[in-house]
Amino acid sequence: MTKSIITFIFLFLFFGGKAQKIAGKVVNSKNETLLGVTIYWKGKINQAVVSDFDGAFSINRNTNDKLLIYTYLGQKDSLEVYESETILLSLKENTQELSEVVVSSKATVIDRLSPIHTEIITSKTLAKAACCNLSESFETNGSVTVSYSDAVTGAKQIQLLGLSGLYVQTNFENMPLVRGLAVPFGLNYTPGTWVQSIDLAKGVGSVLNGYENMVGTINVELKKPDQSERKLINGYVNSFGRLEYNGNFTKKLNKNWGTTFLSHASGMISKIDNNADGFLDLPKYGQINVLNRWKYTSDKISFQVGAKMLYDERVGGQSGFKSRTETPLFYGFTNKTIRPEGFLKIAKLFPNAPYRGLGFIVNAVHHNSKSYFGFKPYNGVENTFYSNLIYQSIIGNSNHTFKTGLSFMWDNFDEKYGGFILKRNEAVPGAYFEYAYNNLGKTILVLGLRDDYHNLYGNKISPRIHFKQDIGLNQTLRLSAGTGFRVSNPLADYYGNLVSSRTVQFLDKILPEQSSTFGGSYAIDLKKLNLNVEAYHTEFKNQLIADTEHSNYLYFYNLEGKSFTNSFLAEMNYKIASGFDLKMAYRWVESKQTQGKPFDEKVLMDKMFLAKDRILFNVAYALPYEKWKFDLTVQYNGRRRIADSKSQLDHSSYQSIKAIYAPNFANVNAQVSKNYTYFEWYLGGENLNNYKQKDPIIAANDPFGTKFDAGMVWGPVTGAMIYSGFRYKLK
Amino acid sequence: MKNVIVLFVMIFGISFASNAQKASAKTEEVTFQTSAKCGMCKMRLEKDMSLAKGVKEAKLDLDSKKMTIAFNPKKTNKKKLQKAIAKIGYDADELVCDKTAHDALPGCCQKSASAHIE
Repeated sequence: MTKSIITFIFLFLFFGGKAQKIAGKVVNSKNETLLGVTIYWKGKINQAVVSDFDGAFSINRNTNDKLLIYTYLGQKDSLEVYESETILLSLKENTQELSEVVVSSKATVIDRLSPIHTEIITSKTLAKAACCNLSESFETNGSVTVSYSDAVTGAKQIQLLGLSGLYVQTNFENMPLVRGLAVPFGLNYTPGTWVQSIDLAKGVGSVLNGYENMVGTINVELKKPDQSERKLINGYVNSFGRLEYNGNFTKKLNKNWGTTFLSHASGMISKIDNNADGFLDLPKYGQINVLNRWKYTSDKISFQVGAKMLYDERVGGQSGFKSRTETPLFYGFTNKTIRPEGFLKIAKLFPNAPYRGLGFIVNAVHHNSKSYFGFKPYNGVENTFYSNLIYQSIIGNSNHTFKTGLSFMWDNFDEKYGGFILKRNEAVPGAYFEYAYNNLGKTILVLGLRDDYHNLYGNKISPRIHFKQDIGLNQTLRLSAGTGFRVSNPLADYYGNLVSSRTVQFLDKILPEQSSTFGGSYAIDLKKLNLNVEAYHTEFKNQLIADTEHSNYLYFYNLEGKSFTNSFLAEMNYKIASGFDLKMAYRWVESKQTQGKPFDEKVLMDKMFLAKDRILFNVAYALPYEKWKFDLTVQYNGRRRIADSKSQLDHSSYQSIKAIYAPNFANVNAQVSKNYTYFEWYLGGENLNNYKQKDPIIAANDPFGTKFDAGMVWGPVTGAMIYSGFRYKLK
Repeated sequence: MKNVIVLFVMIFGISFASNAQKASAKTEEVTFQTSAKCGMCKMRLEKDMSLAKGVKEAKLDLDSKKMTIAFNPKKTNKKKLQKAIAKIGYDADELVCDKTAHDALPGCCQKSASAHIE
């Protein structure tokens, strides 16, 4: 929900001996004084002060204190205070603006005020790599890994806390984004230039956003009329023959109205087959994507209405393939996706009671995807309607707040894969309540409960708990626990496995996947150094197992027995000198699930394609004002279990399946950028060490035979890539 | 693979070399009276002007609202710098600001805003 009460802070600075004292006043847009606003310097929450009846406050300031943060009933903002000047700043109470300010010194920012462990990835972090789209936005992130789901389609999948992105709710502005039939290519459908910031919340999410945030939540904020540049033009080209154009245009029409038009066109124009297996390493594709949003803001109400339209077409497979009729002897992959979408967001504001808020979100999507794997068609149509009504207020005083609301999801699926017909109509009304105890931002306890009535699977209750405690000056402990569920769309979820001669077999009627996740994090935030350790455990009550242990079959069945994942992350950010940052992260995961239904067995096995160890190293150097910027990232991925494709005989028992491992490998990415007042130019490279998985496609020479499989990818398919681009910005 | 790394080292090297060159080039200085208002204006002007072509350093004095720019005369000149300030949305001496840019500034930075320093 967007809050747009404009608050003015008047700051009057004066000197009082050695320690400077700052006095000020907090008022809202109606010039009414605000009582009970918590104000503190970044990292010194224990020395927070609170504004009095006249909205007045005074706070001591040392020379190192630059960023003044103020919070008011869950809303938060910050401003940078310079020298001993008297300044007047107009600020919008919006978390995105906060992240923009806070991030100015560090590459990774953990939202200190959020009870949920949340990393904020801003457009500044995104600019560290040429993030063409969402799938490339996590390149310098320690906890998220992104990989191709197969060697043909170009579809990408993410992994967080050792679990597939399927269990991470990926939203844009709290509305569904990578979900349902959009799972295979959803990450490719959000251009990086459109992104304002990304919130990455780990562990089970808030009940506000539904039941699907089982292990994490990725919320993408796109550019909005009140925050965007007037004009942003981006062009990009890489050595594989990919071209990109992005154009963002924003116009403020008057005091109340503003509009933003986001446009994107991209394509892969050349055929590349670097590993000479006769298959294109990446499909040729073309995409056109536009979004137009209108925003109205006043003291009492704020609303946004927008429409999105996507068209994406791709052709992959053997390089000789043109079309199924022209070249019937060649294996081809084609996909055509059309996705129109509309949304409406309304926020009712209460100027006399700023702690109160009423928000309403409506989102409607039509998704139409037509694919061919060789001669096998897979067509899917999904119509989704999502709405959420949120009300928030306080209980007695601002230490006790609550959010409550009603949601409704209607989702209609119509899929056809060869002879299979999968039709499903979901109608899920839900209600939720979330209580938060907040003691000056130091101690926060959030208790949430939601109840969803699923028309196909009955009543489901999802309890959640989040706790945050600041310890001393700069340490924060967070704990969370809760349950969630989702309904799988097996063909979309395991799209990459369809590029094979495997026979798809459903051994069970699909049941919802249900999990509980608990864990926590401990962060130490010093001036130059911040350290962060996290550990999470997820256990499935039910899971849809996609069994690829037999080379000729893709079996789907419900979990019978145990399935769990443990993950651990240690991360360090160190500021060597001004403009010189170092980041190191180590991640360990263990994921096991019970398989064996095809043989009536129950064997707990390591999940395939998941590297146990991963190390990330990032060093960034920037001259003042980022006139020049240098960035280098090295990733090391440990070995992972893969399917035994070499032995030609089928296994007779799951007990005897030999564990085969893919080798470990590293990746080197680097980028240089040069900034001018309105213009930025960048040159970079990915996978500069040119590491390639040998023979990513099994039986590439016989794609219509029984052994063909392009879904067994564990490493980079393409070799080294060089890219260059520019951004032209007019603020 | 090695070639690519060598290429990158070269690019890094060249960019540093070009910086070093800038430092050794002759520097001139110019001062403009601007219509800046507050600390935000100072941040904006200093950042944007520091990134302008040929500029070595740009500082704004908030008391006098005067901007002093050190620049390389081979790459830019006083006229261009004056125009650059106007394009950000501020008056520079007799040159009036670009209206669109000025109107896009936050309220407290616009010329109509009352003086913030009492």
